[in-house]
Amino acid sequence: MTVTFQLNGEDCRFDGDPMTPLVDILRQERFLTGTKAVCREGFCGACTVHVDDEAVPSCLKPVGLVQGCAVTTIEGLSFGSQALHPLQANFEAVDAVQCGMCFPGMVMSLSAFVRDNPHASRPEIKAAMAGNICRCTGYERIVDAVADCLDQARKAGQLVGGIHV
Amino acid sequence: MSELSATVMNLPRRDAQDKLRGRTKYTNDRIRPDMLHAVLLRSTVPAGRIRKLDVSAALRCPGVRAVATGADAPGLYGIGIADHPLLAIDTIRYHGEPIAVVAAETEKQARAALAAIMLEVEPLAPVLTMADALQPGARLVHEGWRGYEVITEGGARAGNIAWEAKSSRGDVDAAFARPDIRIIESSFTVGRQSHVPFEPRVAIGSWEDGRAHIQTSTQVPWTVRNVTGRVMQLPPGRVRVTVPPVGGGFGLKFDASIEPITAVLARMTGRTVVLENTRQEEMATCLCRENAEIRIRSAVTAEGYIAGREAVVLMDCGAYGGEQVFLTTMTAHTLGGNYRVGATRLVSRAVYTNTPPNGAFRACNGVYNTFALERHTDEICDALGFDPMEFRKKNVLGDGDLGATGQVFEADVLGPMLDRMETLRASTGTSEAEADGRLYGIATTVGTWFVFVGPSAATVNLNADGSATLVTSGVEIGSGTMVQSLPQIVAGQLGLAPDQVIVREADTDAAGLDVGVGGGRTTVSIGAASVAACAEVREKLLRTAGEMLQTRPEDLVLRDGRVEIAGRPGSGISIPAVVAHAQATTGPVTGSGAFTARNTPAMSGCAMGHFIDALDIPVFVVHEAEVAVDPDTGHVEVLAYRVVQDVGRALNPRAVMGQIQGGVVQGLGYALHEEVTITADGRIAQDDFETYRLPLAQDVVPVAADLYEGAPSMGPLGTKGAGEVPILAVGAAIGCAVARAIGKPVRQLPLTPPRVLRLLHEREPPPEFPHIAHGWASNTLG
Repeated sequence: MTVTFQLNGEDCRFDGDPMTPLVDILRQERFLTGTKAVCREGFCGACTVHVDDEAVPSCLKPVGLVQGCAVTTIEGLSFGSQALHPLQANFEAVDAVQCGMCFPGMVMSLSAFVRDNPHASRPEIKAAMAGNICRCTGYERIVDAVADCLDQARKAGQLVGGIHV
Repeated sequence: MSELSATVMNLPRRDAQDKLRGRTKYTNDRIRPDMLHAVLLRSTVPAGRIRKLDVSAALRCPGVRAVATGADAPGLYGIGIADHPLLAIDTIRYHGEPIAVVAAETEKQARAALAAIMLEVEPLAPVLTMADALQPGARLVHEGWRGYEVITEGGARAGNIAWEAKSSRGDVDAAFARPDIRIIESSFTVGRQSHVPFEPRVAIGSWEDGRAHIQTSTQVPWTVRNVTGRVMQLPPGRVRVTVPPVGGGFGLKFDASIEPITAVLARMTGRTVVLENTRQEEMATCLCRENAEIRIRSAVTAEGYIAGREAVVLMDCGAYGGEQVFLTTMTAHTLGGNYRVGATRLVSRAVYTNTPPNGAFRACNGVYNTFALERHTDEICDALGFDPMEFRKKNVLGDGDLGATGQVFEADVLGPMLDRMETLRASTGTSEAEADGRLYGIATTVGTWFVFVGPSAATVNLNADGSATLVTSGVEIGSGTMVQSLPQIVAGQLGLAPDQVIVREADTDAAGLDVGVGGGRTTVSIGAASVAACAEVREKLLRTAGEMLQTRPEDLVLRDGRVEIAGRPGSGISIPAVVAHAQATTGPVTGSGAFTARNTPAMSGCAMGHFIDALDIPVFVVHEAEVAVDPDTGHVEVLAYRVVQDVGRALNPRAVMGQIQGGVVQGLGYALHEEVTITADGRIAQDDFETYRLPLAQDVVPVAADLYEGAPSMGPLGTKGAGEVPILAVGAAIGCAVARAIGKPVRQLPLTPPRVLRLLHEREPPPEFPHIAHGWASNTLG
């Protein structure tokens, strides 16, 4: 079966089993290895991508279900030497990163969250992170960075993530 | 001191942007279409004899390029004792043990071929618990234990006791016979903890010009090199190990496991072979923090003097000795740490069982021994009516006090740290009001750990563009050492900016021996080797500049990328000009440095079977937890957490704070909900993210931390490792706080809601250890 979808703004065609998890196509066929396959069961969030602007775990998304959709991976969030997404910039600024493997998924989940919840409180940010596990950092700096990011956007009168695809 | 001011800074991570953009290529991101995929045939029984293993049909399956068995890599490896085959040979000792491996063009083809392997196993009754293993007449997990090569001499061994380490100082019998003491005895039991690094163990092996090259996600490139040599019966120099960025380690990757298999298959096929554990395999065969059983007795006077102490610690090493053989040493320094004790004797035994082998995990052994020691201390206080904080202040180790092996501790560190905790608490306030009707508890605990020093090597090449290349066998596992502390140290020594220091990733062909990244040692050991390498570079640089400037080298300093005349900023000549001159006259400017332990002495005859007799760099912590326990559900909420940590010198305080937050949260998981249990057929029951409950964002609190600087350390610029120790006393602080909240003794971790409810309703049986004899000496091999 053939599935066609947009991948980071370009046409993408997949011929094969439509039940193939999207993450496998991203990593194994497109070499978009920024999407991490960690638990493959939807718990860790490391494989999160945007499908039509919604954050979803790509391990639980059979490719057949993205027919006609727009898929954005971490690589598509800012291409080449483009500026970091404000969330990424804040994570860098507070020295939040350690091993780094959870961060692409963390960025994809939270970039959708901050776009949709510009007034989120700290407990709401933490609740939004329930599907993104980090084994290194103990989370608080990530929460700090998200809160900072929302503060900055509010002060500037902008929505966070207006730049993303 | 200018060297210090040029080194200490909150340097950001140079790897953060790529990690955030998903561009960093971890080992498992380097799988290419032309690689063969390897898949393991693993045992489905915990114990058995291999009666038949025929791989000929599998070799004929589509896409299959090779099948390997134990016969293809017959050497045994281990720490202390070589007891571990790469693939099972004749005997199966744990559920999940690799028996054979298929390499095929695709993973699917390799999996399909597994079914064609003919395997007949005669199951044996498994020895699943330490109690079973220590029964008189218990079946031996290793029938041939006597014949194993002993790599490190000195440990007592017998049957299912893989290794026994003892420490004994003073007349303990006399202390317990004193008329003025009371004897307090406590028993504790803890389960395993699974590391769950986001990148599983994975290796990519190739065979190049008659040598193996393994790229792998490891903390110990030299161990992988040496183990691969051992099992393949090759000189280890025929193995090269390189290490891309590692997606989390936490100690799991402090030993070799599946990596050598890729070299075996690469040699057989001439192809590059990738082997990656699935998440299920990773968790089912995790080299966990070991489950342990601890009995501790103390003789304490009415004045609160600890006259005598003795303990038995049983550590489950699983099917093979592994790291636990070494870790038996640590009991003397962890359970034997914290307090001044008159006379003491401790025995620590690594016990074989037919369960997945255990390994190293951040503050190995220390985490549960600190839990046991601190809860025992609270039980002493309860029994004798002491205030727990005052008792600790009175008894913590101070300047000139003796450790369990007779080591003399230098300086008062823990005492002032307890005072600093009180100051910290005064500044943060407490959170009792947030308990909101639930049972509230607060506890302050102490812990003793160490920096695992040992050999490291470094080379520094100073380049004509003014940059320096640092070549070591260090690995960036996430802790920031390779991207923060080491470039800071080298830059500080050479008058460069940290971004001028290029840090080479580990390659055993390029850099000298290194014990590996673990034990809080990298900043200290590789840092010290780097300082030594920089000294040689500086000497060459100043000599050349002295000639160029017609000035004595001792009048020159390195600052801001220049060789300056001391006291005259902006004078002299730029470093690139000096390097260019040196290259043309005396040759390129390079330096090499080496470092190892100084082997601080123990008291003669106090340490038996120990890998380390005394601590070169002790590290102390004070942890304080506030909890609220819901009496209806047994749920424990952590309301606040405070840390005072002995860091020696914080080179990058912000990065250290990040390690403390992360380490404490891993400890909260261990204390509260990360539970590993073994099924009746010897499996780890929690082999996925649904059943193994990791801490989530909503479980955690911001840790308030105070970095205690200035305690003695042989580390460069007075540093101590800061990444390992933050987990050390979390089980202790939570265990003690919950016990105080519920008014019942806590003797087991994790404190899951069902366990806390059982404790509240007195339905949790206290640990009973019929396999630990009443007399201490009966628990030793003599």
